[in-house]
Amino acid sequence: MEASTARAEISPGERLSELARDHPAAVAFGVIALMVLALIAAKGLHDVAQTGLNGLTLGTIYALGAVGLTLVYGILRLVNFAHGDFLTFGAYMAYLVNVTWDLPLVAGIFFAMAATALLGLFFERIMWRPMRAQGSGFLQLILMSIGLAFVIRSAIQWFWGTEIRSLDVDILSTVSFLGLRIGQTELIVIIVGIAVLLAVGVMLRFSLLGKQMRALADDLDLAETAGIDTRRVILYTWLFAGALAGLAGVLFGELANLTPELGFELLLPIFAAVILGGIGNPFGALTAGLVLGMVIEWSTLVVEPRWKVTFGFIALIIALVIRPQGIFGRAKAI
Amino acid sequence: MATESLNGKALLDVDGVVKRFGGIRAVDGASFEVGEGSITALIGPNGAGKTTLFNVMTGFYRGNRGSVRLAGEEVLHLPAFAIARRGMVRTFQITKALAAMPVIDNMMLAAPDQPGERFRNLVFRAGAVRRREREVREQALELLEVFNLADRADHYAGTLSGGQRKLLELARALMARPRLLLLDEPMAGINPTLGRRLLDHMQRLRREEAMTFLFIEHDMEVVMNHSDRVIVMAEGRVIADGEPHQVRRDPAVIDAYLGGSV
Amino acid sequence: MSQLPLAFSLEAFTDFAFWSSVLVLAGIYALVALGLQLNVGFTGIVNFGQAGFMAVGGYSMAILVLKAGFSFWLALPTAILITMAFGVLVGLPSLRLRADYFAIATLATAEVVRLFAQNARGLTEGNKGLYCDFSGGGSVCYDDAWRSVSDSIIGFLDNFWSDPDALAPLLLAVWATVLIATVGLGYVQRTPWGRVLRAVREDEDAARALGKNTLLYKLQSLAISAALGALAGFFLALFLATVTPRDYEPLVTFFAYGVLILGGLASYRGVAIGAILLWALLEGTRFVELPISEEKTAALRFFIVGLALILLMAFRPQGMFGKREEMVLGD
Repeated sequence: MEASTARAEISPGERLSELARDHPAAVAFGVIALMVLALIAAKGLHDVAQTGLNGLTLGTIYALGAVGLTLVYGILRLVNFAHGDFLTFGAYMAYLVNVTWDLPLVAGIFFAMAATALLGLFFERIMWRPMRAQGSGFLQLILMSIGLAFVIRSAIQWFWGTEIRSLDVDILSTVSFLGLRIGQTELIVIIVGIAVLLAVGVMLRFSLLGKQMRALADDLDLAETAGIDTRRVILYTWLFAGALAGLAGVLFGELANLTPELGFELLLPIFAAVILGGIGNPFGALTAGLVLGMVIEWSTLVVEPRWKVTFGFIALIIALVIRPQGIFGRAKAI
Repeated sequence: MATESLNGKALLDVDGVVKRFGGIRAVDGASFEVGEGSITALIGPNGAGKTTLFNVMTGFYRGNRGSVRLAGEEVLHLPAFAIARRGMVRTFQITKALAAMPVIDNMMLAAPDQPGERFRNLVFRAGAVRRREREVREQALELLEVFNLADRADHYAGTLSGGQRKLLELARALMARPRLLLLDEPMAGINPTLGRRLLDHMQRLRREEAMTFLFIEHDMEVVMNHSDRVIVMAEGRVIADGEPHQVRRDPAVIDAYLGGSV
Repeated sequence: MSQLPLAFSLEAFTDFAFWSSVLVLAGIYALVALGLQLNVGFTGIVNFGQAGFMAVGGYSMAILVLKAGFSFWLALPTAILITMAFGVLVGLPSLRLRADYFAIATLATAEVVRLFAQNARGLTEGNKGLYCDFSGGGSVCYDDAWRSVSDSIIGFLDNFWSDPDALAPLLLAVWATVLIATVGLGYVQRTPWGRVLRAVREDEDAARALGKNTLLYKLQSLAISAALGALAGFFLALFLATVTPRDYEPLVTFFAYGVLILGGLASYRGVAIGAILLWALLEGTRFVELPISEEKTAALRFFIVGLALILLMAFRPQGMFGKREEMVLGD
């Protein structure tokens, strides 16, 4: 018997939405490009470029936090609420070195990265690994990550109190180029941040460890069956994620003041970058973080500055609703 | 439980169904009909698209193209719960017995027309709610009796063995009074005695209530001896459709199984 | 100088006024956590937006009374309805998301509500918060009507105990609500409706395959939880005699989860006990006079809550009264 092949008609609208679903990155960039063009038309190139540059500072911090968080996602299978407090930890470690011990900030940065990397490793060994072995469920893990966030934050509060502190940085000097102006520290943040992100990107893309880490972040079980030594790669991933989080925290500490809430305030935008970039996809998180920082800053051209954080969250909610697997994620079963 | 007459139309009419995942067409134009009161087997090598087709038919996947008509009504883009309510009920390959609920709750859950499931009725029609609950409980216990599970009624379904859970899933599906029951590998993991009991029950339901069955199966003995018709799928398409002994000799079918005997 | 490193202040320990305020807070958190229990423990939706619902409830009430001239007694049910509508609005697009995405979406929504309250100064007075409106020459505070009722209740109680605590009426109101909500939810759980909810909790696909419109049930669960959150926000507004954005930070939701876990998943009765325990723990440590600063004590309390959450999740995830068999939120 023959199978009949009557085909239903697809409307042009359907075809367009199929196209959009298959090429989300193109659509996203198209939308943003249109938005930027509209802004330039309305406010002029200088304002758009200036705010874009400002946005890049926070964007690099989001990107650094998001890359680590998204890599760890594959291991934990959930977004880690304690990640924000890793950033706080990094900032305060730098404070310890830079202000308390009065050493140059560079030393503070390295120390912060190392200390936070070890912190990540520590909790993997004593907490996450045993919970995985136990076969713990999603709710247990998410509540545990909240508990961990409390623990880290309260420990920081114990030692440093809630008073506002700052790193020993130059907050006054500015640099001008191409008609744009930016604080010296801000520029350093951007340069350091982007340099590290590039290095990270190269490492993830081309090195063996990087490929393994990406495979793990994407699908832990699959990576295991592919013969990857998951235990080792997990440890490296935590070191990596911790170091990046620590760096992000220090860089943020250079821009703003240090309080125990520092990391949690950054957490939701970092979540946003992770989700928009496609959970488990470090390149997506990187791009999304940078773009998110700029978009949030660009919004100040249209709405009052005090609304910009709200704007960021609304963007996150819209993104979740329209395309929860992110711009770069694959349409896995949600 | 044949309700309105079908006027000679098939109970289920699948026509040109396509389901893509990215670039892959898991179902590539599948078409067949299922008559009321029949027992039809859907077979094919692994990856032929059988379970995907089930998912599209029952609304768990969104079909890209084609048509699925249940008793003449187009259901391709209806949500899964709406299709189940219209009488096409399915079971799952990996059984979905609700382990954290007692067996009897699993059963009572499936019964249709329960006023107690609407919040408003809890307040305004408490009497009707209670009455129907009693009815449903009795029916559930009767059905559990048939499948030898009545003594486990109050135990959490998680305490049942694998085979018992399969039976529970079938019993539960039957509680829903379906017109068409789609079974995804009902025999997998069940010992032969239990399996025979299941098949006997299927035959009885077909005889007494004109219930229709479409099942995916790999056990050829079951397929050959207990189905009226066999549909063979390979690579997302229907490649053969007829009586068991016809299909077994079809060269296309033998090919699809890579030269193995059917 | 005592030889013990810690000193107990016994006198303060028996201060009824102190404990009544602890109990009021515990009752408010019990309401929030009852909603969470319905959502998480019985429907399987991991709702991190309760603080947002509390804010919508509290602010709606205050705004209705102070800016729209509503009577206090009308403002309460209206605020609840507004919050439920908001809950449905939030749920419609987000309930089809996976559990952790839904958690983040609700958390983000709650933050949007809080930030809105912080920034929409014209409506909400921003960080200053709402309590009284002095614009009309006199002063109208949103709890004026409640105060007079409260005074009469105290007058009534005076017949039985000398000098009843000022918080007694609020205490009674809150815990009466907790009691009614607990009984109501417990009843509803044993109905066919509750049965569908439990099925949705464990395996939504199985429920859909049996003809249940699972989105509808999840929406109803969220709406009820929103109503409970609104009630909690309402009582909090009365207790604090102010509504400010700071009272609705994500921390509140996290604490409510602490209550939920302590009391145990899938147990409504456990919620009340968990709430009392958590707040007794948090506030009772005030009496232990440690040789450390106020700030450090606060940090220590936080630390203990965090540690308790971790240890509970590791070793006794079902909490005190939860049932291990009903813990299905695993992957």
